[in-house]
Amino acid sequence: MTIQVAPPAVGTVQGVRAGAERQSRLLVVAEQECRDLWTSGRGLILLFLFSVLLSGVTYLTSTNQALNFLEQRESVNLVLQFAVAVGVLATLVVSADGISGERERGTLETLLVTPVPRRSIIGGKLIAALSLWFATFLVSIPYVWVLARGVGILGRALALGFCVGTLVAIGLGSIGLLISAACNSNKTSIAASIFLLLILFAPTQLPSGLPQGWFFEVLLRANPVASGLAYISSILVEGHGWTQDLALLITPLLTAIIAGGALILAGPRLVRLTRGVNSE
Amino acid sequence: MRVALLITLLVAVVAWLPAPALATAPLSVKVVAEPPHVETVLGGRFMITTEITNTGTAPSGEILAHLNVASIEGSVYVDPEDWSPDRSQQLSLQPGESRKLSWEIQAVNAGHFAAYVVVVPFGNKVAGNEALVISPLVDVDVASKSTLTAGGALPVVVMVPLLLGLAAAGVVLRGRRRGQDR
Repeated sequence: MTIQVAPPAVGTVQGVRAGAERQSRLLVVAEQECRDLWTSGRGLILLFLFSVLLSGVTYLTSTNQALNFLEQRESVNLVLQFAVAVGVLATLVVSADGISGERERGTLETLLVTPVPRRSIIGGKLIAALSLWFATFLVSIPYVWVLARGVGILGRALALGFCVGTLVAIGLGSIGLLISAACNSNKTSIAASIFLLLILFAPTQLPSGLPQGWFFEVLLRANPVASGLAYISSILVEGHGWTQDLALLITPLLTAIIAGGALILAGPRLVRLTRGVNSE
Repeated sequence: MRVALLITLLVAVVAWLPAPALATAPLSVKVVAEPPHVETVLGGRFMITTEITNTGTAPSGEILAHLNVASIEGSVYVDPEDWSPDRSQQLSLQPGESRKLSWEIQAVNAGHFAAYVVVVPFGNKVAGNEALVISPLVDVDVASKSTLTAGGALPVVVMVPLLLGLAAAGVVLRGRRRGQDR
């Protein structure tokens, strides 16, 4: 990635504009990262694969007799949870490539010599990764619409998916960037991120017939993905109010705050050149 | 002294011998289920209530009420766990006491079914030859329903990946052409 940015403001006169310039640099990095993601076709290919998966699930939900016993609200819930989960996975994969990918491709040096604060670099990369989440959410709208029409839950389902998904995506995107900054190899970074996501998804796959004691409850509440998806279910399927199970959103919120905070605080130290994997 | 010693020995021997198997008293409980008939559609949720009363003169001890579902027409495969994830409730009743238990059920197959609750003794003192107490059948009639159809979802299922695939192919091809021009 190559960025052309004006030199940083120096002196008292320019000091007033420092904040605004920092913000504009963040936007410059974000714009460049988004351009890299979307004009290279990488983002669109991920979106295409996402839509194929979502089409499969929607088609099965609407036709398969074994699944057709589901109430329509449960079908909407199933597809929405799938959309959030895969959308977050795509965000994590893109953010896991953020720093380690630049290191591996040898473009991090060029990026570091540009007059852009390292925090802006990290922030820009996070925004670019989140753009993929927003795109997957946009793609999932017609699928949710086709299942939710006639039940009167379309607006609620979309608002829920957007809020919960964005919260989880910010948290996991930040974690992905932290992992990426700590890893020398892109393969290690992506493998570690996917492994982390699998660990987080595992509790959501436990059969509902299993005895669910306090340990399961702790596991559910400590897991940002599982608790976020449980919050969606509680409102869409069980018909709870927005505030009734709000405690389920504590972990996704804390993850976003802690991981995002760690990224802002430790990011400048983590984004640095290291000895490459082939230099030994 | 000798007599006392003999009596003590006899008592010790009798105490050491295993107790003869006692005839197990039948459970003195009565189970009533409500409603007697349920009509619903595939995927529909409904609730049945059972009232268990201890009709005996002694406490029931620990007992277990267990819900079961069986198909009574055709050859529909029934997995009761799919119908209700919480199918067992443990309780104990004093003489004359009764307890109402609710069972939340979701109809996951279409057809004609019977739901019933069986009461069994519970705990490690169960000998294994006790009689069971069963509620009357709740007749469940489940009509098939197709809430979603392939026809309704097909345009979205086909068009969205098609458009995104074309867009992705276009962007990738344009990028390659630009690379070749340079």
